[in-house]
Amino acid sequence: MAHAESDLLRSSLDLLILKALSWGPMHGYAVSEWIESATDTVLLVEEGTLYPALHRLEGRGWITAEWGVSDRNRRAKFYKLSAAGRARFRAESSVWHRHADAIAGALRQTSAAAAEGR
Amino acid sequence: MSLGPGWRRLFRLPVRTKRSICADIDDELAFHISMREETLERRGMSPESAHRTALARFGNPDVVRSECFTVDSQFAREARMTEWLESLLADLRFAARTLRRTPVFALVATLTLALGVAASSAIFSLVDGILLRPLPYPDPGRLVRVAQSFPEKGLSNWSLSQENFAMYRDGASDFQSFAGYWVRGTTIQSDGQPKRIVGVQVTGDFFTVLGVQPMLGRAISRVDDHPNPTAVVVLGNGFWLTHFAGDPNVVGKTIDLYGTPTRVIGVMPPGFAFPDPTVQVYRPLGLDPSRRFGWFIRGVGRLKPGVSPEHARAQTTGLLWTWARNEPDLLGLRVDPKATHLQTTVTPLHDAMTGETAQPLAVLQAAVMVILLIAVGNVAMLFSSRATGRSREVAVRSALGATRERVMRQLLTESMVLAIAGGTMGIVLGATLVRAFTHSPIATLPRITEVGMSWRVATFTLAVSMMSGLLCGLAPAIHLPRRRLADALSGSTQSSRTSARRLNSSLVVAQLALSVMLLVSAGLVIKSFRRLLGTDLGFTPSNVTSISLPLPPQRYSDRMAVPPLTEQLVRRVSALPGVGATAVVWSPPFSGGVNTDGDLIEGHAPPPDAGSETQTVTISVTPGYFNTIGIPLRYGRDVSWDDRANGLPVVVVDEALASRYWVGADAIGKRMRLTGDTTWLTIVGVVGSIRDEDVATLPRPHSYFPYAQQPSASPSLVVRMRGDASPVVAAVRRVVSELEPAVPLDGVRSLSESIDVVLRTRRLTEALLLGFALLAATLAAVGVYGVMSLYVTNRHREFGIRLAIGASPQNLVRRVLGEGSVLAVLGVLIGMGGALIGTGWLGTLLYQVSPTDPEVFVGLGLGLFAVAVTASYLPARRAARSDPLVALRAE
Repeated sequence: MAHAESDLLRSSLDLLILKALSWGPMHGYAVSEWIESATDTVLLVEEGTLYPALHRLEGRGWITAEWGVSDRNRRAKFYKLSAAGRARFRAESSVWHRHADAIAGALRQTSAAAAEGR
Repeated sequence: MSLGPGWRRLFRLPVRTKRSICADIDDELAFHISMREETLERRGMSPESAHRTALARFGNPDVVRSECFTVDSQFAREARMTEWLESLLADLRFAARTLRRTPVFALVATLTLALGVAASSAIFSLVDGILLRPLPYPDPGRLVRVAQSFPEKGLSNWSLSQENFAMYRDGASDFQSFAGYWVRGTTIQSDGQPKRIVGVQVTGDFFTVLGVQPMLGRAISRVDDHPNPTAVVVLGNGFWLTHFAGDPNVVGKTIDLYGTPTRVIGVMPPGFAFPDPTVQVYRPLGLDPSRRFGWFIRGVGRLKPGVSPEHARAQTTGLLWTWARNEPDLLGLRVDPKATHLQTTVTPLHDAMTGETAQPLAVLQAAVMVILLIAVGNVAMLFSSRATGRSREVAVRSALGATRERVMRQLLTESMVLAIAGGTMGIVLGATLVRAFTHSPIATLPRITEVGMSWRVATFTLAVSMMSGLLCGLAPAIHLPRRRLADALSGSTQSSRTSARRLNSSLVVAQLALSVMLLVSAGLVIKSFRRLLGTDLGFTPSNVTSISLPLPPQRYSDRMAVPPLTEQLVRRVSALPGVGATAVVWSPPFSGGVNTDGDLIEGHAPPPDAGSETQTVTISVTPGYFNTIGIPLRYGRDVSWDDRANGLPVVVVDEALASRYWVGADAIGKRMRLTGDTTWLTIVGVVGSIRDEDVATLPRPHSYFPYAQQPSASPSLVVRMRGDASPVVAAVRRVVSELEPAVPLDGVRSLSESIDVVLRTRRLTEALLLGFALLAATLAAVGVYGVMSLYVTNRHREFGIRLAIGASPQNLVRRVLGEGSVLAVLGVLIGMGGALIGTGWLGTLLYQVSPTDPEVFVGLGLGLFAVAVTASYLPARRAARSDPLVALRAE
């Protein structure tokens, strides 16, 4: 059960990271801030879990990383969406929408008979 | 294949170390935490609580760090692997392209290697199957062959009598089990026709000693060890398949052996045949330990664990001496046997079976090693000549950022492609050769049926060829990238070419030297073989056919029944058309094994230290035998039909015997007798000496008795043919079946064939060595051609200039030939030096040829020199045709 939940979380986290980076290059902290504000802190229970996800996406080639200087003049690792990552994001988000709608619809069903009406 | 930007980034980066990965992760995580702290502090938290809260919100940094590290290093590993595969693919593509561009080079290199690998893998297979692999019996290291040796009597490999056999079996505690066997032709009735097969008669422990049991039925056992055994037989697997079509219910059926219905009691498993693959049936020997005469049993024993053959030899020799002391008359031995060299021989069975093959195989193995070395040398040379031609390409690639390792790997890939191609071709060719060889009639080596290309050999030779590929690729690769870039780019590659040529020149000298050694060794062996073939045997084997006539023992248990048959046979056969002369003999020359006995001369006192009386080969003949096989009669007369059993006992001796005691015709009328028989025989004739056991051994003294006075039940008919043998043989067969239908007639062989059998191993060695020597010379010639071509290519410019300023083309040809000759002379001289040291090792392969035979040394040395100079003539002609303009423009 825990495995299924973490899989679900991981894929949604990946999607959120891609979404965050679609606004432009960001360092990990900024990504976590964006996710926090966008999801009302629901998803990111521990901020540290963000980093393995970032590194995995980097390894897959969907985001690229580069060391730069933050606005507070500190050395920071900036992530940027790659072309492949952008395509991935588009594909994933439409799949996610479809699934979410389907699941939400299913959860809203009030009677078993509705299934036969289709 | 499209690559994400992350891949590309990883590609550009040098290989990420573990430390750099860790440092990056630490920095990144620390940045996050401190940013969080700052934010919290700005909201009014104290630094301590900000720090605690930031950490709490972050989670365990150690877990995050190790997770990130796992992810990063896994991707780094994958990236490295992909990069490696990509570049290997690129190398392979590049190698294929360059090799296609120079197909002649690729072909020559591959074929050279393939030939070397084929020759060596084939010979290694023989060595592996015959010499290295243990015998196919359980715990084979404990199996020994037991014989006796009595040098004073000329008996070096003396078989056991039944009495001797029982003495060792029952008295020698070193053996766990001890058995005896006797290989004999056996007559069976098959489809109403008598047929000759090879059988072996064994004592009860035979199958126990070898540790192999029948797959059907029971083995011959101790219960069969009595003088009149029940007529039973154990079938060899091949015989069972051919004569009973693999009938699983064969046990209990009967076959006709020598006219006796014989019950089948067992069938041996496939692959079992002892002592050699020709054996088809096993019968009880019918051991009678009270039989003191007749030394025909071969002993084979299984030693107890931990007992050495040497210990068993001492023990059995002790038994032999005790026995000899009690049998002074039997051996004519009246002194303590300790004072003689009488002893037993206990030889590991493996050595006893393969001993004679070991030396020729060792020589052949050395020969193929030489071939492989020469072949590898050629490939190395081809590579290094080509590499110098490509130095500019390599320099350009270095300038564009290829590392030295990268360039070397590229060159290695090319050589490995060739090595694997050549090696594989060679092994396939070698396996084909081995199969053809083991199925050919010339392959009469022991254990040949066990020979095949094994994985062991294939892996070994493939490894050798890949090693050679590695070395060949490496040799030029090492000196390539070290050169100064500017030199290579500006085109002055002279220095590197000189160093490559120096390497190649030493390779070519080494090749020539090795070829000379191989050629000289082969030459000596071939000359020995010619000497053997040219040896005067003392008789004329050509056009003489020998037909063995094994008579059914029941009918001829009284030997005196034989002479009337032989007389009739000779009279009727000599009347046949096409027959020049004919006679009956026991036993004909080169029929494998002779009978010997001690001879005592009247008036010559028996030697005091008994046991040292001379030995004579004893042969029974009908009149006309000497004339039939061409032994000249020197003095006196031939035996005659009037020398009957009840007449005056007479004998004809040969010069080898007569010359010991008499001069010329003095032998006639003198009397001699054989030890163990008190009858005096009058010498009526003296004939020429013959060699009838081995071509290489000196003639032994022979005594010929009238067949009527010393008959045997296994005579042979010898016929000198006037023309084609086959119609005569058919007519003889008809005559024989009319006179004695129970005689099988498949033992027909010309005397020349019989002699060939004795020479087979030598002939095989000679033929293979000749082939290898020619192969070596050819490969060496290719090497000389290669190195001289490189020489000419390198001096292309110089030659152009020389021609331009007036040198004659002939002058250039002489120059190049001169260079080639220097290499050839060096190689030939070094090789002859090596051969002088090495050929003593050929040992028994040489016959009446000195290991330093000047004719062979000088002849073949000059021959190879001529080949080498010829091989450098083609490049020389190319030099003479250099076009000055082209040459100058080329650089």
